Amino acid sequence: MRALRTLLLGETVALPVGVALVLLAALALQGASWWEDAGGFILLGLVVVVLAVALAPAHRRR
Amino acid sequence: MTAFVLTLVGAALAVGLELLEAMAIVLAVGSARRPRDAVIGALGAVVLLAVVVVAVGPLLLARLPLEPLQVVIGVALLLFGLEWLRKGVLRLAGRRSPSSSFREYLEEREALEGMAPPPPGRPDWPARVVAGKGVLLEGVEVVLIVVALGAGPDGLTPAVAGAAVAVVATVGIGVVLHRPLMRLPESHLKYAVGVVLSSFGVFFLGEGLDVRWPGGDVALLYVAATLAAVSQAQVAALARQPVAA
Repeated sequence: MRALRTLLLGETVALPVGVALVLLAALALQGASWWEDAGGFILLGLVVVVLAVALAPAHRRR
Repeated sequence: MTAFVLTLVGAALAVGLELLEAMAIVLAVGSARRPRDAVIGALGAVVLLAVVVVAVGPLLLARLPLEPLQVVIGVALLLFGLEWLRKGVLRLAGRRSPSSSFREYLEEREALEGMAPPPPGRPDWPARVVAGKGVLLEGVEVVLIVVALGAGPDGLTPAVAGAAVAVVATVGIGVVLHRPLMRLPESHLKYAVGVVLSSFGVFFLGEGLDVRWPGGDVALLYVAATLAAVSQAQVAALARQPVAA
């Protein structure tokens, strides 16, 4: 079960939670007039933030 | 063309690395116990995976319209890709032990050698279960990655071709094992796969949510370049920090 959980969710909850938040934010912003042209860059920025948050514990562990 | 090449390379690398891990487990079981039981366990897992793919795959793909499918695939690729990327950053920064299928092979073999062997002529169920579980878990990832990369517009051909190249290369490595297994820069390759899968994840998620990417498929390149630059900055920052004893 642990192997299956790791396979599906990974080793940290920050990534699945972060990706879910990115999706929710994108769905909320999708209706905006600028979304078609700028939405991709917003998504990319949010994904970069999720990666940084997932790596934050390693920065704190000195 | 950009999407074709990146899909092919991404599928080949991702599938190859997953197969390498599965092969390390099967070889460990085969050398520590009996090769026959390792092969039976591995084949059982392959058959189970094939049944699931044949039964569920077409049903899922046929019933979902393209845009929601792209969102689902984008999310799946992001989950896989960002996890590979996170681990890759930690490995390249020296904060996690390097990825090594050879080490996995040795550890698995050592664990199996500690177990009592079955009576002669009886099936070795622990060996079959260990080999089957290894192949099943890695195989699920292979299937998900190939399906996700192949579900994009015109993505099936390069995804399947990349997977086929990976199968041939992995079998080749298996035949002349084990020196090539030790020499593979697995940590760097897994980091690169993390960048590629995450880039496809961002791209497909955007497509599924009505984003018009400037440059079309070329967006994959600047998304990948951005993720590579950001993650390399993270590697540099982590490598500079002293690690607690």
